[in-house]
Amino acid sequence: MNSEKMKIPQNILFNILSIIVAFLLLFPVFWMLITSFKTEVEIFRIPPTFYPHVLNLKSYAAQVETGDFNMFKSFGNSFVISTGAMLIAVLLAVPASYAIAKYRFAGRKAVLLGFLVSQMLPVSVLLTPMFIMFKHFHVYNTWFSAILADATIGIPFSVLILKNYFAAIPKALEEAAYIDGCNRFGAFMRVLVPVAKPGVVVCAIFSFLYAWGDLAYGMTFIINQQKRPITAGIFNFMGQYGTKWSYLSAFAIVTIIPVAIIFIFMQKYIIAGMTNGAVKG
Amino acid sequence: MKKVKRFFRHDNAGLLFVLPAVIYMLVFVGYPILSNIFLSFQNVTVNNLVRGEKKFIGLGNYKVLFKDAVFIKSLTNTVFFTVSCLVIQFIIGFALALFFNKKFTFSKPVRGILMIPWMMPMTVTALIFKFMFQSKVGILNYILMNLGLISENIDWLTKPHTAMFAVIATNIWIGIPFNMILISTGLTSIPEELYESAAIDGAGSFKKFTKITLPLMRSTIESILVLGFIYTFKVYDLVYVMTSGGPVNSTHLLSTYSYKLSFDNFEYSLGSSVANVLLVILLLVGILYLKITMKGEEKNEQ
Repeated sequence: MNSEKMKIPQNILFNILSIIVAFLLLFPVFWMLITSFKTEVEIFRIPPTFYPHVLNLKSYAAQVETGDFNMFKSFGNSFVISTGAMLIAVLLAVPASYAIAKYRFAGRKAVLLGFLVSQMLPVSVLLTPMFIMFKHFHVYNTWFSAILADATIGIPFSVLILKNYFAAIPKALEEAAYIDGCNRFGAFMRVLVPVAKPGVVVCAIFSFLYAWGDLAYGMTFIINQQKRPITAGIFNFMGQYGTKWSYLSAFAIVTIIPVAIIFIFMQKYIIAGMTNGAVKG
Repeated sequence: MKKVKRFFRHDNAGLLFVLPAVIYMLVFVGYPILSNIFLSFQNVTVNNLVRGEKKFIGLGNYKVLFKDAVFIKSLTNTVFFTVSCLVIQFIIGFALALFFNKKFTFSKPVRGILMIPWMMPMTVTALIFKFMFQSKVGILNYILMNLGLISENIDWLTKPHTAMFAVIATNIWIGIPFNMILISTGLTSIPEELYESAAIDGAGSFKKFTKITLPLMRSTIESILVLGFIYTFKVYDLVYVMTSGGPVNSTHLLSTYSYKLSFDNFEYSLGSSVANVLLVILLLVGILYLKITMKGEEKNEQ
């Protein structure tokens, strides 16, 4: 709350404190990382070892080899499903949010309200009817079922975020495009979307992450282990080999990798999304 | 045709842009909600799911539920789970936000890193905490033992009360960053001069906090709590992966119980009814959320 810079000793003290706080809060993640490099025997050792005394990479290697511990396939499935859901969400949300920001069309308030409400819905309400619907239309047990379902989380989030980005673009910019001979669609594609690009990136990231973290849809609509996302794969594995913590921790780390990569390169977009956006999935 | 064209010429041209998303949401969200309500008035089980007669039984499913001890337990659990998480993650989040709003070299980057728990897939978070809460291999028992807080290993996830504690603690871990970042943003919007003039008037930090920070943060706090409620009340994956509602139904939430009824017991109509109860409560609280956000919307548009 002080605008001027801190004095040096105070600055050092706060930096040290902040590192302690970060270590305590993120300890579970470090612990999982350390565990994933230990052998099964070492994991069960008492007292626990705080770094792997024998480096064990088998839990990672097994994920690309054939057999029960192969998670590579599930990782790919998750990637396809999340990318698909992200594309649907962005393609539908970009024009929709532009319209809500820039046009006072009939029923605008109702549409806005609809998106707000759909953000609050629990998966439980949608699961059974979607399950029946997907069975009817034969998308049950395919990637598409999870893609279609996951996009319903990304769309309302994206519309509500992006609408603010479009609303902030001055009207003069759009009018200049009309003078240059653009029609509405041309102005939208060539002028507005490029200006709102940071917002589009936020939406793409969050739509991807929502789908990446989904368990309920992927597990319920896809029963074929070969097509299931990695979250469902992990859950399944926990049921079968509940105490194989070396493999489980390696799966956990592999599942976090895309999240970590996105986080490292796009941190500012994530903070923007969290502070502008409303509820998570 | 001309009439149609004229209708879409001015502001209504927006409809053409918004319709694809609206239709998508009507098909994959609107229809399921209605269908879920119908389901709850029928007797759909695995036998007549795709084909066969679906009998209309009125409020029959709801009557069954309100006599079902597990349902009542899930309902009270959900409320207890939500309120405990909300209060604790809010307090910790607030404290951290105050701390990281000081301007020191690492304040921004470290605060950024702390977002990680919030971004991780819940399945992974549940797995990590399940591991730490294990009785023998779990690191938590080892730490508590060394601190002298316990004398023998606790079987966290196999005893009803400790299992509930474990899932609440895990969910708080996810909720802290969410609270911290939103409170942080709220704090930075308070004008500096207010604190300066209060300092001139001789106000101490406690007084500044209760007389300036809290009153000015009111609307931020309101929306954080309402959003937090909505988000926590429908948590599903976390509990399903950590305990699947056990031991002996002690950690079932409405969301996990609904799932169990539908997809383990194949009692689709009963499962839908539980989901509808969850939905009604969410919508009641959601009205608060809508009031806050729609007020914000109108302000934005002026």
